[in-house]
Amino acid sequence: MSESGKIGVSILAIVDIQGLTYTYPTSEKPALRGISLQVEQGEFLAIIGPNGAGKSTLCYSVAGFVPHFFKGKLEGKVQVAGLDTQSASLNDLVLKAGLVFQNPFTQISGAKFTVYEEIAFGLENTGVPREEMKERIERVMGLTGIADLAKRSPYALSGGQQQRVALASILIMEPEVLVLDEPTSQLDPIGTREVFQVIKDMSKRGMTIMMAEHKVEWVAEFADRVLALSDGEALLLGKAEEVLTSPRLPEHGIGVSRYTTAARRAIQEGLWPTGRRLPVTLVEAVEGFQRGQA
Amino acid sequence: MSTALTLYIDRNSRLHVLNPLTKVALTATLLTAGFALPEGWISYSIVLLIVVPLSALGRVWRQLVKATWKIVLPFAVSVFLIQGLFWGSGTPLFSIGSLSFKLEGISFAFLSVGRILLVVSVFMLFALTTRPDTLMLALTHIGLPGSFTYIVVTAIQIAPRFQARAATIVEAQRSRGLETEGNIFRRARALLPLVMPLVLSSLVDVEERAIAIEARAFNSSQPKTSLIKIPDSRGESITRWMFLLLMALAIGYRVIAKN
Repeated sequence: MSESGKIGVSILAIVDIQGLTYTYPTSEKPALRGISLQVEQGEFLAIIGPNGAGKSTLCYSVAGFVPHFFKGKLEGKVQVAGLDTQSASLNDLVLKAGLVFQNPFTQISGAKFTVYEEIAFGLENTGVPREEMKERIERVMGLTGIADLAKRSPYALSGGQQQRVALASILIMEPEVLVLDEPTSQLDPIGTREVFQVIKDMSKRGMTIMMAEHKVEWVAEFADRVLALSDGEALLLGKAEEVLTSPRLPEHGIGVSRYTTAARRAIQEGLWPTGRRLPVTLVEAVEGFQRGQA
Repeated sequence: MSTALTLYIDRNSRLHVLNPLTKVALTATLLTAGFALPEGWISYSIVLLIVVPLSALGRVWRQLVKATWKIVLPFAVSVFLIQGLFWGSGTPLFSIGSLSFKLEGISFAFLSVGRILLVVSVFMLFALTTRPDTLMLALTHIGLPGSFTYIVVTAIQIAPRFQARAATIVEAQRSRGLETEGNIFRRARALLPLVMPLVLSSLVDVEERAIAIEARAFNSSQPKTSLIKIPDSRGESITRWMFLLLMALAIGYRVIAKN
């Protein structure tokens, strides 16, 4: 067990990005400029930033869709689990980095009539034998809490359920890195909670996760480190509690936790303990305000 | 809203467990017999003595009869009226006012309706007892490209959603004051604000779905496997060849009879 308390965390960088600059084919301005970072195995890196900051582009870059699907001009280097994303094929890369994105509906393949079969779609494509498929389906359905949905049509589910099916469909392929591009942005609060619960479980099991997300309170609960992007560039990279309370975030239009905002205001009124780190979550805020009152 | 544009009804029946290709061969044989053999009663006999009993075996006879009746009845009434009354010179059977029903017209209508009844009931039996994805899988096994079968199956599932989205766009645009009813010019003007959002959103969906299936290695060069095992047996294989032989015989009989 590592310092982070997660199972199986090592100090090996499983994602290595060096000087990544990328421009989409129909754009003149780069969507990402000079991004460099390493993600350790078992680490949870959150990516925050305003709309258009490059979060999705960074996710696609790690999963290999930049440049293989979107083409465009890529400079620099991105390595995922030992594969260079420019020289390796997309078919090889998707086995290393699994991608889940915002819209639960479009992630349903449409080729299968039940959730049970939908989850196996990726394994069918990679030639996994039938008996092994069945074992992996059962295991992944348990991990994502969708065993009771097995016989239902994927199109007859709620958004949260569909997103968990999408997660299961990727997790069953046993990627080394899980890349999530705002997986809860189109979900209601219940669906959001269901999906984050699965993500939390995966993180506890030592999965390497990169997640673009706007909901900073959830990010604070899960992330080891946070990368803040602004206009395609890395603004801040560091521990979650440091980045999420940085005054530079609101300056660049990046949303902060309401508890952080409240505490900043409280400092002016002398209601927040001097020297105490600003809160991001409700629990931190309550503890801080109680200390300030004492 | 239905979850898929399919007539398939899930049942535990001996018809349902047959290999889809066997059912394709059966469908083709019944249709060939109905069209190749000239006697008008052949089609009706096939429906009454083969299709309906098979639908009972498949536990879908109620759905088959109901759906077939709904489709064929209006057609049958119009064909009998038109062919019977307007056949031209022929043997009058009975008259209504100045119009008379001709024997030859009625005979032709009898033959035509029989064939329509055969086509509708046979295809209905096939659709009610065959899952589209297993059919596509069976066709892939005999060489049809996987990408083609994917397109067919996804179209079946996604079409109802496309319809629902179109309905949502119509409601949304109406709430913004777009007038969608009235004369033809008003309706034509309303087309662009309705069609453009539908097309654009569908294009976005297509791109996202392409990414999603790529993320699941759809274009992998590995030979694909299948979670679903499509049943097949030597007996079914022989049966399919027998069906092909019967089709050849029916066609041969038709050719010889014509000459």
